[in-house]
Amino acid sequence: MDKKGFEVQFNWIFVLVAGAAILLFFSAIVIKQKSVADISTKATVLKNVEAIITGAGISTDTTNTISIPESSIEISCGRISLGAVSKQYENLILFAPASIKGNRLITQTLSFNAPYKATNLLYITNPEIRYILIGSSSLAKEINKTLPSELKKEFYKSLSDIKGTNNHKVRIIAFESMTEFPKALAKMPDSDVTAVRVNGDAEKGIIEFWQKEGNSWQSNGKSYYIGKSSLIGAAYSDTAEAYECGMQNAFSKLNLVTKVNIDKTNKLMQKSSDARQVQCTQFYSNALAHLNKILPSGTFSQESINAIAESAKSLAEENKNSQIHSCPLIY
Amino acid sequence: MKKAQIQMGETIAVLFVFFILVTVGFIFYVKVIKGNIELESEELSQLKSVAIAQRAMFLPELQCSEDNIAIDNCIDILKLDSAQALMRENEVYYYDLLEFSDISISQIYPSEAKWNVYSRKTDEFKSKFVTNAPISLYDPITRKHGFGVLTIETFLK
Repeated sequence: MDKKGFEVQFNWIFVLVAGAAILLFFSAIVIKQKSVADISTKATVLKNVEAIITGAGISTDTTNTISIPESSIEISCGRISLGAVSKQYENLILFAPASIKGNRLITQTLSFNAPYKATNLLYITNPEIRYILIGSSSLAKEINKTLPSELKKEFYKSLSDIKGTNNHKVRIIAFESMTEFPKALAKMPDSDVTAVRVNGDAEKGIIEFWQKEGNSWQSNGKSYYIGKSSLIGAAYSDTAEAYECGMQNAFSKLNLVTKVNIDKTNKLMQKSSDARQVQCTQFYSNALAHLNKILPSGTFSQESINAIAESAKSLAEENKNSQIHSCPLIY
Repeated sequence: MKKAQIQMGETIAVLFVFFILVTVGFIFYVKVIKGNIELESEELSQLKSVAIAQRAMFLPELQCSEDNIAIDNCIDILKLDSAQALMRENEVYYYDLLEFSDISISQIYPSEAKWNVYSRKTDEFKSKFVTNAPISLYDPITRKHGFGVLTIETFLK
């Protein structure tokens, strides 16, 4: 090889190395920027969800549809995550499917009363999930009315009436027995079809969680509900564990609010006793007995549900009596 | 000097200038991004502070209610003492809701009184926000409303 040939070759090698270095440098910047943008989008969505959670603590009986960047939100007990970005909560009262995919969220809030307001229950779901209500009871009709109209919901008399449409997830809320499996859903993946069977009235009852397994139903645990808001929570939650996590946190809050109401009722009783308002004192004394029955119910169980349901009714009665006799109200 | 050496020197000089320009551009870009992040962080802190203030104002432990209907911007004074003790006893529970903040209620009319409902401060805060909200203080026994101010100081790291 002559000297000129060597120079030309060296020049090309130099251009190649320099070009590769420049390309590498810009590629590194683009990759880094992409990951930063990804994390930033996820953080924005998480910030939106946090704002929803804060809003839920304030406004009761509201439904909102929120547009978010296309994302996959994972919700577990006290934790909301979007890929690597997550937020941990100590006492999160949220009922939602384990995974929400898409660019829209539907949120709903209802208050949890026992009989006084203890907290708001927040529900989050995706408009793509198909909610199917089965039954003809008044409770089924009431739950259908309470679920937001923005949801993709259907109401049938029996499981066999379900028609097959292309949906990424199906949630059945059955007020009838779950003996048969709807043929229209047979081809769907097992993890995409879940159900909850309700056995009770508007006040309280038993709920059983089911999961599709081939062409039949597989029981996924049993739990309990108290009031309509708690039952709606079960309708939105995929599993008994997720539902019970939210309910346990609601019960912890109920316990705290009960303590405050006991103290308030004690003060009201003391004042009415000093003022010799015999009837008012009697109402407060009765109310205190009921409040003290609600107080130990800090843990979510069938016993505490029964105790709360029974005492709540009597306490509501005492509050009504206080109103009729012009005594200051308990709650 | 040979022609090839001069050419190579030129190429190196061009590359050197190019990388200097890239570096200057990059430094400028980082500065702009940093400024944006600081602005966003400030906005986030303010949002967080508002969220804490909202949570505090709508706590069922403090809010007035009439036959279970909550009254906005109203604090039941019969609930205040027990709520104060409760929040002290359950500090971890309320920290999740109210974080590093100081919540106090001052009655201005008919008489002056002050309650410190929740206090968890930190010395290592980056920003501090104070939210004052006018509130009605209801006494269910006398059935009279007083006037007061709810002060929420939030400390953000």
